[in-house]
Amino acid sequence: MSGSPSNTVLEVVDLKAGYGKIEALHGVSFHVKRGEIVTLIGANGAGKSTTLKALMRLTPPESPTVTEGDIRFDGASILNMDAHVVVDKLGMTLVPEGRRIFGNLTVLENLQLAAWTRRKQDTRQDLDRIFDLFPRLSERARQRSDTLSGGEQQMLAVGRALMTQCSVLLLDEPSMGLAPLLMYEMFRTLKQLNEEGLTIVVVEQNARLALTVADRGYVLDTGQIVAEGGGKELLARPEIMSAYLGA
Amino acid sequence: MEILLQHCVNALQWGSFYALIALGYTLVYGVLRLINFAHGDIFMVGAYIAFFISTTLLAKDGAFALSMDTTLALTIPLTVLLTSLVGVTLERIAYRPLRRKGAHRLYVVITALMCGLILENGNLALLGASRRTLPQLLEKHVYSLGGIAVTNLKIWVILAAFAVFVLLQLAVTRTRIGMAMRAVSYDRFALPLMGIPMDWVIVFTFMVGSGIAGLGGLLFAMSYPVLEPYMGVMTGWKAFIAAVVGGIGDIRGAFAGGFLLAFVEIMVAAFLPSTFRDLFAFSILLLILWKRPTGIFGTPLTTKI
Repeated sequence: MSGSPSNTVLEVVDLKAGYGKIEALHGVSFHVKRGEIVTLIGANGAGKSTTLKALMRLTPPESPTVTEGDIRFDGASILNMDAHVVVDKLGMTLVPEGRRIFGNLTVLENLQLAAWTRRKQDTRQDLDRIFDLFPRLSERARQRSDTLSGGEQQMLAVGRALMTQCSVLLLDEPSMGLAPLLMYEMFRTLKQLNEEGLTIVVVEQNARLALTVADRGYVLDTGQIVAEGGGKELLARPEIMSAYLGA
Repeated sequence: MEILLQHCVNALQWGSFYALIALGYTLVYGVLRLINFAHGDIFMVGAYIAFFISTTLLAKDGAFALSMDTTLALTIPLTVLLTSLVGVTLERIAYRPLRRKGAHRLYVVITALMCGLILENGNLALLGASRRTLPQLLEKHVYSLGGIAVTNLKIWVILAAFAVFVLLQLAVTRTRIGMAMRAVSYDRFALPLMGIPMDWVIVFTFMVGSGIAGLGGLLFAMSYPVLEPYMGVMTGWKAFIAAVVGGIGDIRGAFAGGFLLAFVEIMVAAFLPSTFRDLFAFSILLLILWKRPTGIFGTPLTTKI
């Protein structure tokens, strides 16, 4: 393993997890260091989303049950932690697949809700920061959020996650359903956030895009990690791109 | 004309009871997508709690021997509090374990029905079949307004229902816990990702819903002071139907549905033989649902990809 252990924020050790009797992850190991962008890539059904949901400690039936192995955050196991505690105490949250914004709430309410644990007056600065990052959200602050376009909803999903004051952000297919231009814009924003100190773990089907911005990548195939390396390094291995990513 | 107005006043009072119970059904449904079929029986338990508190406080040879006014002032908050605890207990011992195991909705509904039966029959076994009478807690005044007779109790009941509705509407639209309740009704999955404990929101919902049912039970027992273990069954069912016709999951719907049902019932009974009441009332509601299957305020559930 590269890097000093104190630098490692997330460590997944031989993780086996599944839904009911069906095992989806057959012993997955990887780590994420503070300040990195790490991407998990792989085909549909490889176990990418399952991994993120397991990391967040979300509960069945939508999320998997861990049967073996360990997930460590700053060196301590988080297997017995509830999802809301992971968010609140560890400062890690997830932008889920399909965005899952609260469509019946306004844009502003979505953002305020994510600041649940803090006093209202303390959240003003965070709101300004998010409106700076995504000016479109500020224009539409009082609008019901299900009236937003797909791209704006994705911005809201990311903005909402940032409102929790997370230091580790997991993203599940942030490019899904976005036009190419918006897709690049989203990844540029992620890169910017990363440069400001945010640790990012991103799951993507668009492997080329993800590997371009990522420091390191892991290739998942049917619940196992089959390759790992630097982002540029994996991009340069045509056998991987063609065998697992259909590119 | 006077008779019609008199019926309207009666319908407002009757509707207040339906509305207070329907609010609990709709709150729990909004948050958990669960029809809490024990809710009508929580209303009954609320009435009995009010009975025990008030008789204890009033008893001349008892430890308290309080006046009627003081007793009422204490009975209201105590009944609301204790009934809300009954609701929370039900959630804790019956629904939460099922939720943890990811049980299918059918099992949860059956559990709710069984909880209702346990409350009814537990009451029957503990207290016997004899009916109880709530002691008088409010000096009765009859006001006559242009030929319409209105008791002060009636006015209080109607005012209480409206006050609860306004407070609840404010809580749900203006407070953070209310925002969380609305968020859960749209998407349960994402709530913990905001750092919000799901169980907290659920417990709060059961507390509020059951507390309101407790208030309803107390006011009902004051208006119709005969208590029996099955008093919550039919009233509970009707309040549930009122919530569905109003649009279940929507607070305005529960409120409007409660009054609508009461108006239909009382007007049918006013102009037709009273045996026609439920037949006609429910036929009219069926027609409304036929035209608007989501209820008056309901919106069809959409699933976003």
